[in-house]
Amino acid sequence: MPDERTDNQLLKASADDPDAFTELYRRHAEDLLRYFARRTLDPEAAAELTAETFAEAFASRGTYTDMGANGVAWLYGIAKHRLGRFFRSGRVDATARRRLGMPERELPPEDYERIEDLVDFAPIREALVEALDTLSEDQRQAMRLRVIDGLGYPEVAERLDCSEANARQRVSRGLRKIALLLQERGMQLTSEVEA
Amino acid sequence: MNSDIRSLQLLERDLEGIAAREHERIAVERARRATGGSPGGPRKPRRFPGRGAHWPAVAAMVVAFLVIAGGIGFLAQGGGSNDMRAASGGGAAMPSATSVPDTAPAHEQALPGLLQSGSGRVSDTSGGGAQYEAFGPNPAAVKSGQQTALPDLPGQSQQDLSKIIRDGSITVVVADGEFPQKVTSVTRIANRNGGFVLTSSSKEGSSGTFTLRIPDDHFDRAMDQLRALGEVKADQVTGQDVTAEHMDLKARLDILSDRRELLRSLQAKATTSSEILRFAGLIDQVQFEIEKIQGQLNFIHDQVSEATIKVSLREQDAPAEGNPGDTDKPSLADAWDLALQGFLRVLGAVVVGLGYLIPIAVIGLLGWFVFRLVRRRDRGAS
Repeated sequence: MPDERTDNQLLKASADDPDAFTELYRRHAEDLLRYFARRTLDPEAAAELTAETFAEAFASRGTYTDMGANGVAWLYGIAKHRLGRFFRSGRVDATARRRLGMPERELPPEDYERIEDLVDFAPIREALVEALDTLSEDQRQAMRLRVIDGLGYPEVAERLDCSEANARQRVSRGLRKIALLLQERGMQLTSEVEA
Repeated sequence: MNSDIRSLQLLERDLEGIAAREHERIAVERARRATGGSPGGPRKPRRFPGRGAHWPAVAAMVVAFLVIAGGIGFLAQGGGSNDMRAASGGGAAMPSATSVPDTAPAHEQALPGLLQSGSGRVSDTSGGGAQYEAFGPNPAAVKSGQQTALPDLPGQSQQDLSKIIRDGSITVVVADGEFPQKVTSVTRIANRNGGFVLTSSSKEGSSGTFTLRIPDDHFDRAMDQLRALGEVKADQVTGQDVTAEHMDLKARLDILSDRRELLRSLQAKATTSSEILRFAGLIDQVQFEIEKIQGQLNFIHDQVSEATIKVSLREQDAPAEGNPGDTDKPSLADAWDLALQGFLRVLGAVVVGLGYLIPIAVIGLLGWFVFRLVRRRDRGAS
Protein backbone atom coordinates (compact mmCIF):
# COMPACT_ATOMS: atom_id res chain seq x y z
CA MET A 1 0.00 0.00 0.00
CA PRO A 2 1.56 3.34 -1.07
CA ASP A 3 2.53 5.82 1.63
CA GLU A 4 0.15 8.78 1.43
CA ARG A 5 2.24 11.15 3.51
CA THR A 6 3.72 14.30 1.94
CA ASP A 7 7.48 14.83 1.68
CA ASN A 8 7.32 17.26 4.60
CA GLN A 9 5.51 14.75 6.75
CA LEU A 10 7.97 12.02 5.81
CA LEU A 11 10.94 14.20 6.69
CA LYS A 12 9.47 15.22 10.03
CA ALA A 13 8.50 11.65 10.87
CA SER A 14 11.93 10.33 9.88
CA ALA A 15 13.51 11.80 13.04
CA ASP A 16 11.85 9.02 15.07
CA ASP A 17 10.93 6.65 12.25
CA PRO A 18 13.92 6.12 9.93
CA ASP A 19 11.78 4.04 7.56
CA ALA A 20 10.01 7.23 6.54
CA PHE A 21 13.29 8.41 5.11
CA THR A 22 13.65 5.36 2.88
CA GLU A 23 10.22 6.13 1.46
CA LEU A 24 11.45 9.63 0.67
CA TYR A 25 14.46 8.06 -1.00
CA ARG A 26 12.29 5.85 -3.22
CA ARG A 27 10.32 8.89 -4.36
CA HIS A 28 13.24 11.12 -5.27
CA ALA A 29 16.37 9.02 -5.82
CA GLU A 30 16.14 8.81 -9.61
CA ASP A 31 15.24 12.49 -10.00
CA LEU A 32 18.19 13.43 -7.87
CA LEU A 33 20.49 11.15 -9.87
CA ARG A 34 19.25 12.81 -13.07
CA TYR A 35 19.86 16.23 -11.48
CA PHE A 36 23.48 15.32 -10.81
CA ALA A 37 24.01 13.48 -14.11
CA ARG A 38 22.86 16.45 -16.16
CA ARG A 39 25.20 18.76 -14.31
CA THR A 40 28.28 16.61 -13.97
CA LEU A 41 27.88 14.58 -17.20
CA ASP A 42 29.67 11.88 -15.24
CA PRO A 43 27.73 8.74 -14.22
CA GLU A 44 30.25 7.85 -11.50
CA ALA A 45 30.20 11.29 -9.94
CA ALA A 46 26.41 11.53 -10.25
CA ALA A 47 25.89 8.23 -8.44
CA GLU A 48 28.36 9.16 -5.71
CA LEU A 49 26.81 12.59 -5.23
CA THR A 50 23.37 11.02 -4.96
CA ALA A 51 24.56 8.61 -2.30
CA GLU A 52 26.38 11.33 -0.38
CA THR A 53 23.39 13.68 -0.53
CA PHE A 54 21.01 11.08 0.87
CA ALA A 55 23.54 10.09 3.53
CA GLU A 56 23.91 13.67 4.64
CA ALA A 57 20.16 14.21 4.57
CA PHE A 58 19.67 11.09 6.69
CA ALA A 59 22.28 12.21 9.21
CA SER A 60 20.78 15.69 9.56
CA ARG A 61 17.09 14.84 9.19
CA GLY A 62 16.54 15.78 12.85
CA THR A 63 17.36 19.39 12.02
CA TYR A 64 14.69 19.65 9.33
CA THR A 65 12.13 22.33 10.13
CA ASP A 66 8.89 22.55 8.19
CA MET A 67 8.88 26.13 6.89
CA GLY A 68 5.93 25.59 4.56
CA ALA A 69 8.01 24.85 1.44
CA ASN A 70 8.08 21.44 -0.16
CA GLY A 71 10.30 19.11 1.84
CA VAL A 72 12.14 18.05 -1.28
CA ALA A 73 13.52 21.60 -1.58
CA TRP A 74 15.48 20.88 1.59
CA LEU A 75 16.92 17.77 -0.04
CA TYR A 76 17.89 19.70 -3.17
CA GLY A 77 19.46 22.36 -0.97
CA ILE A 78 21.87 19.72 0.30
CA ALA A 79 22.34 18.48 -3.28
CA LYS A 80 23.23 21.94 -4.52
CA HIS A 81 25.73 22.37 -1.71
CA ARG A 82 27.36 19.03 -2.56
CA LEU A 83 27.44 19.87 -6.27
CA GLY A 84 29.16 23.18 -5.54
CA ARG A 85 31.82 21.39 -3.53
CA PHE A 86 32.30 18.90 -6.33
CA PHE A 87 32.85 21.63 -8.90
CA ARG A 88 35.29 23.40 -6.61
CA SER A 89 37.36 20.37 -5.69
CA GLY A 90 36.76 18.11 -8.70
CA ARG A 91 35.95 15.15 -6.45
CA VAL A 92 33.12 13.78 -4.36
CA ASP A 93 33.91 13.43 -0.68
CA ALA A 94 32.40 10.61 1.35
CA THR A 95 32.21 12.25 4.76
CA ALA A 96 28.53 11.59 5.42
CA ARG A 97 28.67 8.01 4.12
CA ARG A 98 31.68 7.25 6.29
CA ARG A 99 29.95 8.69 9.34
CA LEU A 100 26.97 6.45 8.78
CA GLY A 101 29.15 3.44 8.02
CA MET A 102 27.86 3.14 4.46
CA PRO A 103 30.04 1.28 1.93
CA GLU A 104 31.54 3.21 -0.97
CA ARG A 105 30.44 1.25 -4.00
CA GLU A 106 31.82 1.24 -7.52
CA LEU A 107 29.36 1.96 -10.27
CA PRO A 108 28.07 -1.28 -11.81
CA PRO A 109 29.03 -1.46 -15.55
CA GLU A 110 25.44 -1.57 -16.76
CA ASP A 111 24.67 1.71 -14.96
CA TYR A 112 26.95 3.83 -17.16
CA GLU A 113 24.60 3.74 -20.11
CA ARG A 114 21.48 3.91 -17.96
CA ILE A 115 22.66 7.02 -16.19
CA GLU A 116 23.87 8.61 -19.43
CA ASP A 117 20.40 8.01 -20.80
CA LEU A 118 19.14 10.35 -18.10
CA VAL A 119 21.22 13.14 -19.60
CA ASP A 120 19.94 15.13 -22.55
CA PHE A 121 23.12 15.92 -24.49
CA ALA A 122 21.32 17.89 -27.24
CA PRO A 123 21.60 21.37 -25.69
CA ILE A 124 25.32 21.00 -25.03
CA ARG A 125 26.42 19.01 -28.06
CA GLU A 126 27.94 22.08 -29.77
CA ALA A 127 29.83 23.10 -26.64
CA LEU A 128 30.99 19.53 -26.27
CA VAL A 129 32.61 19.53 -29.71
CA GLU A 130 34.64 22.62 -28.77
CA ALA A 131 35.56 21.23 -25.37
CA LEU A 132 36.75 17.97 -26.88
CA ASP A 133 39.99 19.68 -27.91
CA THR A 134 40.96 19.94 -24.26
CA LEU A 135 40.93 16.14 -23.76
CA SER A 136 43.60 13.54 -24.34
CA GLU A 137 43.44 11.64 -27.65
CA ASP A 138 42.07 8.46 -26.04
CA GLN A 139 39.36 10.30 -24.20
CA ARG A 140 38.49 12.42 -27.23
CA GLN A 141 38.03 9.38 -29.49
CA ALA A 142 35.90 7.61 -26.89
CA MET A 143 33.78 10.70 -26.37
CA ARG A 144 33.21 11.21 -30.10
CA LEU A 145 32.02 7.65 -30.59
CA ARG A 146 29.85 7.53 -27.47
CA VAL A 147 28.39 11.04 -27.13
CA ILE A 148 28.44 12.47 -30.65
CA ASP A 149 27.95 9.35 -32.76
CA GLY A 150 25.75 7.77 -30.08
CA LEU A 151 27.36 4.28 -30.22
CA GLY A 152 26.98 1.79 -27.37
CA TYR A 153 29.94 0.86 -25.20
CA PRO A 154 30.56 -2.53 -26.90
CA GLU A 155 30.94 -0.74 -30.25
CA VAL A 156 33.09 1.99 -28.73
CA ALA A 157 35.36 -0.64 -27.20
CA GLU A 158 35.58 -2.52 -30.49
CA ARG A 159 36.45 0.62 -32.47
CA LEU A 160 39.11 1.64 -29.95
CA ASP A 161 40.39 -1.89 -29.52
CA CYS A 162 40.04 -1.84 -25.75
CA SER A 163 37.84 -3.42 -23.09
CA GLU A 164 34.35 -2.14 -22.40
CA ALA A 165 35.38 -1.12 -18.90
CA ASN A 166 38.23 0.87 -20.37
CA ALA A 167 35.91 2.57 -22.83
CA ARG A 168 33.50 3.49 -20.03
CA GLN A 169 36.34 4.89 -17.96
CA ARG A 170 37.62 7.04 -20.85
CA VAL A 171 34.15 8.45 -21.53
CA SER A 172 33.48 8.98 -17.83
CA ARG A 173 36.75 10.83 -17.24
CA GLY A 174 36.26 12.86 -20.40
CA LEU A 175 32.74 13.87 -19.45
CA ARG A 176 33.87 14.90 -15.98
CA LYS A 177 36.61 17.09 -17.42
CA ILE A 178 34.20 18.69 -19.85
CA ALA A 179 31.60 19.29 -17.14
CA LEU A 180 34.20 21.03 -14.99
CA LEU A 181 35.39 23.05 -17.96
CA LEU A 182 31.87 24.15 -18.90
CA GLN A 183 31.18 25.01 -15.29
CA GLU A 184 34.31 27.17 -15.20
CA ARG A 185 33.12 28.98 -18.31
CA GLY A 186 29.77 29.59 -16.62
CA MET A 187 27.80 27.52 -19.14
CA GLN A 188 24.49 26.09 -17.97
CA LEU A 189 24.46 22.35 -18.56
CA THR A 190 20.72 22.06 -18.28
CA SER A 191 17.78 24.37 -18.78
CA GLU A 192 15.55 22.71 -16.23
CA VAL A 193 14.37 24.71 -13.25
CA GLU A 194 16.06 23.62 -10.08
CA ALA A 195 13.89 22.28 -7.32
CA MET B 1 12.17 1.28 -5.99
CA ASN B 2 10.95 1.17 -9.57
CA SER B 3 14.23 2.33 -11.12
CA ASP B 4 16.29 -0.23 -13.02
CA ILE B 5 19.51 1.55 -12.11
CA ARG B 6 21.50 -0.92 -10.07
CA SER B 7 23.43 1.64 -8.01
CA LEU B 8 20.18 3.19 -6.79
CA GLN B 9 18.90 -0.20 -5.75
CA LEU B 10 22.11 -0.85 -3.82
CA LEU B 11 21.90 2.55 -2.19
CA GLU B 12 18.32 1.84 -1.15
CA ARG B 13 19.48 -1.39 0.47
CA ASP B 14 22.25 0.48 2.31
CA LEU B 15 19.80 3.08 3.57
CA GLU B 16 17.38 0.41 4.73
CA GLY B 17 20.19 -1.21 6.68
CA ILE B 18 21.08 2.10 8.32
CA ALA B 19 17.41 2.78 9.07
CA ALA B 20 17.14 -0.62 10.75
CA ARG B 21 20.19 0.09 12.91
CA GLU B 22 18.76 3.49 13.77
CA HIS B 23 15.47 1.82 14.76
CA GLU B 24 17.34 -0.43 17.15
CA ARG B 25 19.25 2.46 18.65
CA ILE B 26 16.09 4.47 19.19
CA ALA B 27 14.39 1.47 20.78
CA VAL B 28 17.34 0.97 23.16
CA GLU B 29 17.29 4.65 24.09
CA ARG B 30 13.60 4.49 24.79
CA ALA B 31 14.03 1.40 26.93
CA ARG B 32 16.82 3.04 28.89
CA ARG B 33 14.69 6.11 29.37
CA ALA B 34 11.75 4.02 30.55
CA THR B 35 13.96 2.27 33.11
CA GLY B 36 15.57 5.54 34.16
CA GLY B 37 18.96 4.32 32.99
CA SER B 38 19.72 7.35 30.92
CA PRO B 39 18.33 10.83 31.13
CA GLY B 40 16.88 12.49 28.07
CA GLY B 41 14.85 11.13 25.18
CA PRO B 42 15.96 9.46 21.98
CA ARG B 43 19.18 10.93 20.73
CA LYS B 44 18.68 13.39 17.93
CA PRO B 45 20.32 12.41 14.70
CA ARG B 46 23.74 13.92 14.37
CA ARG B 47 23.65 17.40 13.08
CA PHE B 48 25.95 18.32 10.28
CA PRO B 49 27.95 21.47 10.82
CA GLY B 50 26.73 24.44 8.86
CA ARG B 51 23.35 22.95 7.99
CA GLY B 52 20.13 23.56 9.90
CA ALA B 53 21.88 25.10 12.87
CA HIS B 54 19.69 26.94 15.34
CA TRP B 55 21.00 30.43 14.76
CA PRO B 56 19.10 32.15 17.55
CA ALA B 57 20.61 29.72 20.03
CA VAL B 58 24.07 30.16 18.51
CA ALA B 59 23.70 33.94 18.62
CA ALA B 60 22.57 33.78 22.25
CA MET B 61 25.59 31.63 23.11
CA VAL B 62 27.95 34.09 21.42
CA VAL B 63 26.36 37.03 23.26
CA ALA B 64 26.55 35.15 26.57
CA PHE B 65 30.20 34.33 25.87
CA LEU B 66 30.99 38.00 25.21
CA VAL B 67 29.09 39.13 28.30
CA ILE B 68 30.98 36.64 30.45
CA ALA B 69 34.22 37.81 28.82
CA GLY B 70 33.28 41.41 29.59
CA GLY B 71 32.54 40.50 33.21
CA ILE B 72 35.84 38.71 33.60
CA GLY B 73 37.68 41.57 31.92
CA PHE B 74 35.88 44.04 34.17
CA LEU B 75 36.93 42.13 37.28
CA ALA B 76 40.45 41.62 35.96
CA GLN B 77 40.79 45.35 35.50
CA GLY B 78 39.92 46.14 39.07
CA GLY B 79 36.15 45.96 39.15
CA GLY B 80 35.49 49.27 37.44
CA SER B 81 37.26 51.51 39.91
CA ASN B 82 38.99 54.64 38.73
CA ASP B 83 42.08 52.57 38.20
CA MET B 84 40.44 50.86 35.27
CA ARG B 85 42.20 52.37 32.34
CA ALA B 86 41.90 49.83 29.63
CA ALA B 87 40.89 51.86 26.70
CA SER B 88 42.35 55.31 26.66
CA GLY B 89 45.91 54.14 26.92
CA GLY B 90 45.63 51.38 24.35
CA GLY B 91 46.47 48.80 26.97
CA ALA B 92 44.65 47.06 29.76
CA ALA B 93 45.24 47.41 33.46
CA MET B 94 48.45 49.36 33.26
CA PRO B 95 50.34 49.51 36.50
CA SER B 96 49.80 52.57 38.61
CA ALA B 97 52.64 54.90 39.46
CA THR B 98 53.35 53.39 42.81
CA SER B 99 52.97 49.81 41.66
CA VAL B 100 55.73 49.93 39.06
CA PRO B 101 58.49 48.70 41.36
CA ASP B 102 56.27 45.88 42.70
CA THR B 103 54.86 44.59 39.47
CA ALA B 104 57.70 45.08 37.05
CA PRO B 105 59.38 41.84 35.99
CA ALA B 106 62.78 41.14 37.49
CA HIS B 107 64.70 41.87 34.30
CA GLU B 108 62.97 45.23 34.02
CA GLN B 109 63.77 46.06 37.61
CA ALA B 110 67.37 45.31 36.88
CA LEU B 111 67.40 47.78 34.00
CA PRO B 112 65.74 50.91 35.25
CA GLY B 113 67.50 53.04 32.68
CA LEU B 114 65.96 51.08 29.82
CA LEU B 115 62.58 51.29 31.47
CA GLN B 116 62.76 55.02 31.38
CA SER B 117 63.63 55.25 27.74
CA GLY B 118 60.06 54.69 26.56
CA SER B 119 58.09 57.71 25.57
CA GLY B 120 54.64 58.36 26.90
CA ARG B 121 52.39 60.68 28.80
CA VAL B 122 51.17 60.47 32.29
CA SER B 123 48.56 62.54 34.00
CA ASP B 124 47.46 62.81 37.57
CA THR B 125 44.10 64.34 38.32
CA SER B 126 42.70 64.97 41.72
CA GLY B 127 39.32 63.55 40.78
CA GLY B 128 40.22 60.28 39.12
CA GLY B 129 43.58 59.18 40.43
CA ALA B 130 46.55 58.56 38.20
CA GLN B 131 45.84 57.96 34.54
CA TYR B 132 48.48 56.25 32.53
CA GLU B 133 48.20 57.08 28.86
CA ALA B 134 50.94 55.06 27.26
CA PHE B 135 53.41 52.30 27.92
CA GLY B 136 56.43 52.97 30.08
CA PRO B 137 57.10 53.89 33.67
CA ASN B 138 55.35 56.68 35.45
CA PRO B 139 57.56 59.71 34.95
CA ALA B 140 56.05 61.46 37.94
CA ALA B 141 57.18 58.58 40.09
CA VAL B 142 60.63 58.78 38.58
CA LYS B 143 60.82 62.51 39.14
CA SER B 144 59.61 62.36 42.69
CA GLY B 145 62.17 59.74 43.52
CA GLN B 146 59.78 56.83 43.99
CA GLN B 147 62.00 54.60 41.89
CA THR B 148 65.16 55.32 43.82
CA ALA B 149 64.83 51.88 45.36
CA LEU B 150 65.71 50.42 41.98
CA PRO B 151 69.39 49.69 41.39
CA ASP B 152 71.31 52.07 39.14
CA LEU B 153 73.34 50.95 36.20
CA PRO B 154 77.08 51.20 36.91
CA GLY B 155 78.34 54.70 36.35
CA GLN B 156 74.95 56.10 35.43
CA SER B 157 72.26 57.57 37.60
CA GLN B 158 68.60 57.43 36.72
CA GLN B 159 68.34 61.19 36.66
CA ASP B 160 70.97 61.28 33.94
CA LEU B 161 68.73 59.29 31.65
CA SER B 162 65.22 60.46 32.37
CA LYS B 163 63.97 63.48 30.46
CA ILE B 164 60.44 64.33 31.42
CA ILE B 165 58.53 67.46 30.63
CA ARG B 166 56.03 68.19 33.35
CA ASP B 167 53.02 70.43 33.18
CA GLY B 168 50.41 71.25 35.75
CA SER B 169 47.12 73.05 35.77
CA ILE B 170 45.06 74.04 38.73
CA THR B 171 41.79 75.86 39.25
CA VAL B 172 41.43 77.51 42.62
CA VAL B 173 38.38 79.33 43.98
CA VAL B 174 39.08 81.96 46.63
CA ALA B 175 36.77 83.90 48.92
CA ASP B 176 35.06 87.00 47.55
CA GLY B 177 37.35 90.06 47.67
CA GLU B 178 40.51 87.99 48.06
CA PHE B 179 41.44 87.84 44.38
CA PRO B 180 43.98 90.74 44.34
CA GLN B 181 45.70 89.36 47.41
CA LYS B 182 45.89 85.84 45.94
CA VAL B 183 47.33 87.21 42.69
CA THR B 184 50.21 88.57 44.73
CA SER B 185 50.54 85.17 46.40
CA VAL B 186 50.74 83.45 43.01
CA THR B 187 53.57 85.78 41.94
CA ARG B 188 55.32 85.22 45.27
CA ILE B 189 55.02 81.43 44.93
CA ALA B 190 56.59 81.64 41.49
CA ASN B 191 59.46 83.80 42.69
CA ARG B 192 60.16 81.87 45.88
CA ASN B 193 60.46 78.68 43.90
CA GLY B 194 62.97 80.20 41.54
CA GLY B 195 60.48 80.71 38.75
CA PHE B 196 58.46 83.51 37.24
CA VAL B 197 55.05 84.43 35.91
CA LEU B 198 55.20 83.97 32.15
CA THR B 199 51.72 85.32 31.32
CA SER B 200 48.84 86.68 33.31
CA SER B 201 45.38 87.99 32.56
CA SER B 202 42.57 89.06 34.82
CA LYS B 203 38.90 89.79 34.31
CA GLU B 204 36.85 92.33 36.27
CA GLY B 205 39.28 92.06 39.16
CA SER B 206 37.69 88.83 40.33
CA SER B 207 39.19 86.11 38.12
CA GLY B 208 42.29 85.53 36.10
CA THR B 209 44.65 83.00 34.57
CA PHE B 210 48.42 82.78 35.02
CA THR B 211 51.14 80.75 33.40
CA LEU B 212 54.08 80.04 35.70
CA ARG B 213 57.47 78.66 34.78
CA ILE B 214 58.95 76.84 37.75
CA PRO B 215 62.24 74.91 38.01
CA ASP B 216 61.43 71.25 37.88
CA ASP B 217 62.96 70.60 41.31
CA HIS B 218 60.41 72.91 42.89
CA PHE B 219 57.41 71.82 40.85
CA ASP B 220 55.76 69.69 43.52
CA ARG B 221 56.33 72.29 46.21
CA ALA B 222 54.87 75.04 44.02
CA MET B 223 51.80 72.94 43.25
CA ASP B 224 51.26 72.31 46.96
CA GLN B 225 51.51 76.01 47.70
CA LEU B 226 49.06 76.86 44.92
CA ARG B 227 46.60 74.27 46.25
CA ALA B 228 46.74 76.02 49.61
CA LEU B 229 45.48 79.28 48.10
CA GLY B 230 41.84 78.26 48.31
CA GLU B 231 39.37 75.61 47.30
CA VAL B 232 40.82 73.46 44.54
CA LYS B 233 38.22 72.84 41.85
CA ALA B 234 40.47 71.05 39.39
CA ASP B 235 44.04 69.88 39.58
CA GLN B 236 45.97 68.10 36.85
CA VAL B 237 49.60 67.08 36.49
CA THR B 238 50.87 65.68 33.20
CA GLY B 239 54.27 64.36 32.32
CA GLN B 240 55.68 63.75 28.87
CA ASP B 241 58.56 61.35 28.74
CA VAL B 242 60.97 62.61 26.04
CA THR B 243 63.86 60.41 27.12
CA ALA B 244 63.85 58.40 23.90
CA GLU B 245 63.77 61.51 21.74
CA HIS B 246 66.56 63.07 23.81
CA MET B 247 68.75 59.98 23.53
CA ASP B 248 68.11 59.78 19.81
CA LEU B 249 69.12 63.41 19.31
CA LYS B 250 72.21 62.92 21.46
CA ALA B 251 73.26 59.90 19.41
CA ARG B 252 72.77 61.82 16.17
CA LEU B 253 74.74 64.74 17.58
CA ASP B 254 77.67 62.45 18.47
CA ILE B 255 77.69 60.94 14.99
CA LEU B 256 77.59 64.33 13.32
CA SER B 257 80.38 65.64 15.57
CA ASP B 258 82.56 62.67 14.60
CA ARG B 259 81.78 63.30 10.96
CA ARG B 260 82.68 66.96 11.29
CA GLU B 261 86.03 66.03 12.85
CA LEU B 262 86.69 63.55 10.07
CA LEU B 263 85.88 66.12 7.39
CA ARG B 264 88.14 68.65 9.06
CA SER B 265 91.04 66.21 9.12
CA LEU B 266 90.43 65.38 5.44
CA GLN B 267 90.24 69.05 4.61
CA ALA B 268 93.61 69.59 6.31
CA LYS B 269 95.12 66.95 4.05
CA ALA B 270 93.56 68.34 0.88
CA THR B 271 96.05 69.68 -1.62
CA THR B 272 93.95 71.43 -4.24
CA SER B 273 91.72 74.43 -3.75
CA SER B 274 88.72 72.64 -5.28
CA GLU B 275 89.07 69.83 -2.71
CA ILE B 276 89.38 72.32 0.13
CA LEU B 277 86.22 74.12 -1.05
CA ARG B 278 84.32 70.87 -1.41
CA PHE B 279 85.21 69.80 2.14
CA ALA B 280 84.28 73.24 3.42
CA GLY B 281 80.85 72.88 1.90
CA LEU B 282 80.40 69.46 3.48
CA ILE B 283 81.56 70.74 6.86
CA ASP B 284 79.06 73.60 6.62
CA GLN B 285 76.26 71.14 5.97
CA VAL B 286 77.23 68.99 8.95
CA GLN B 287 77.64 72.06 11.11
CA PHE B 288 74.17 73.22 10.18
CA GLU B 289 72.73 69.82 11.16
CA ILE B 290 74.66 69.91 14.45
CA GLU B 291 73.29 73.32 15.32
CA LYS B 292 69.77 72.25 14.46
CA ILE B 293 69.99 69.22 16.73
CA GLN B 294 71.70 71.25 19.43
CA GLY B 295 68.76 73.66 19.28
CA GLN B 296 66.30 70.81 19.71
CA LEU B 297 68.31 69.47 22.65
CA ASN B 298 68.39 72.89 24.25
CA PHE B 299 64.65 73.20 23.86
CA ILE B 300 64.10 69.81 25.49
CA HIS B 301 66.52 70.75 28.25
CA ASP B 302 64.62 73.99 28.88
CA GLN B 303 61.30 72.20 28.91
CA VAL B 304 62.59 69.54 31.25
CA SER B 305 64.37 71.89 33.62
CA GLU B 306 61.38 74.20 33.95
CA ALA B 307 57.82 73.04 34.38
CA THR B 308 54.80 75.00 33.25
CA ILE B 309 51.87 75.52 35.59
CA LYS B 310 48.63 77.06 34.42
CA VAL B 311 46.73 78.63 37.27
CA SER B 312 43.11 79.65 37.05
CA LEU B 313 42.10 81.79 39.97
CA ARG B 314 38.63 83.16 40.62
CA GLU B 315 36.43 84.41 43.39
CA GLN B 316 33.42 82.32 44.31
CA ASP B 317 30.88 84.52 42.58
CA ALA B 318 32.98 85.10 39.48
CA PRO B 319 32.08 83.15 36.34
CA ALA B 320 34.29 80.10 35.79
CA GLU B 321 36.89 80.43 33.06
CA GLY B 322 37.71 77.74 30.59
CA ASN B 323 40.35 75.35 31.88
CA PRO B 324 41.36 71.98 30.59
CA GLY B 325 41.04 70.45 34.00
CA ASP B 326 37.79 72.14 34.97
CA THR B 327 34.78 69.88 34.57
CA ASP B 328 32.25 72.01 36.46
CA LYS B 329 30.38 72.86 33.26
CA PRO B 330 29.69 69.72 31.29
CA SER B 331 29.21 70.17 27.56
CA LEU B 332 28.08 67.96 24.73
CA ALA B 333 31.72 67.45 23.74
CA ASP B 334 32.53 66.31 27.29
CA ALA B 335 29.56 63.98 27.20
CA TRP B 336 30.74 62.55 23.88
CA ASP B 337 34.25 62.05 25.27
CA LEU B 338 32.85 60.30 28.33
CA ALA B 339 30.62 58.11 26.17
CA LEU B 340 33.55 57.19 23.95
CA GLN B 341 35.67 56.39 26.98
CA GLY B 342 32.90 54.23 28.37
CA PHE B 343 32.53 52.39 25.06
CA LEU B 344 36.26 51.79 24.82
CA ARG B 345 36.41 50.62 28.43
CA VAL B 346 33.66 48.08 27.84
CA LEU B 347 35.36 46.97 24.63
CA GLY B 348 38.67 46.73 26.46
CA ALA B 349 37.05 44.69 29.23
CA VAL B 350 35.63 42.26 26.65
CA VAL B 351 39.02 41.91 24.96
CA VAL B 352 40.74 41.28 28.30
CA GLY B 353 38.05 38.77 29.25
CA LEU B 354 38.47 36.95 25.93
CA GLY B 355 42.14 36.60 26.74
CA TYR B 356 41.11 34.59 29.82
CA LEU B 357 38.18 32.75 28.27
CA ILE B 358 39.55 31.58 24.93
CA PRO B 359 42.26 29.28 26.36
CA ILE B 360 39.71 27.88 28.82
CA ALA B 361 37.22 27.33 25.98
CA VAL B 362 39.87 25.60 23.86
CA ILE B 363 40.78 23.26 26.72
CA GLY B 364 37.08 22.60 27.36
CA LEU B 365 36.45 21.80 23.69
CA LEU B 366 39.40 19.44 23.58
CA GLY B 367 38.09 17.68 26.69
CA TRP B 368 34.65 17.44 25.13
CA PHE B 369 36.03 15.90 21.95
CA VAL B 370 38.04 13.37 23.94
CA PHE B 371 34.96 12.53 26.00
CA ARG B 372 32.90 12.04 22.82
CA LEU B 373 35.62 9.88 21.31
CA VAL B 374 35.87 7.66 24.37
CA ARG B 375 32.10 7.35 24.64
CA ARG B 376 31.79 6.43 20.96
CA ARG B 377 34.54 3.85 21.31
CA ASP B 378 32.82 2.35 24.36
CA ARG B 379 29.53 2.21 22.49
CA GLY B 380 31.21 0.56 19.51
CA ALA B 381 32.82 -2.02 21.79
CA SER B 382 29.53 -2.81 23.50
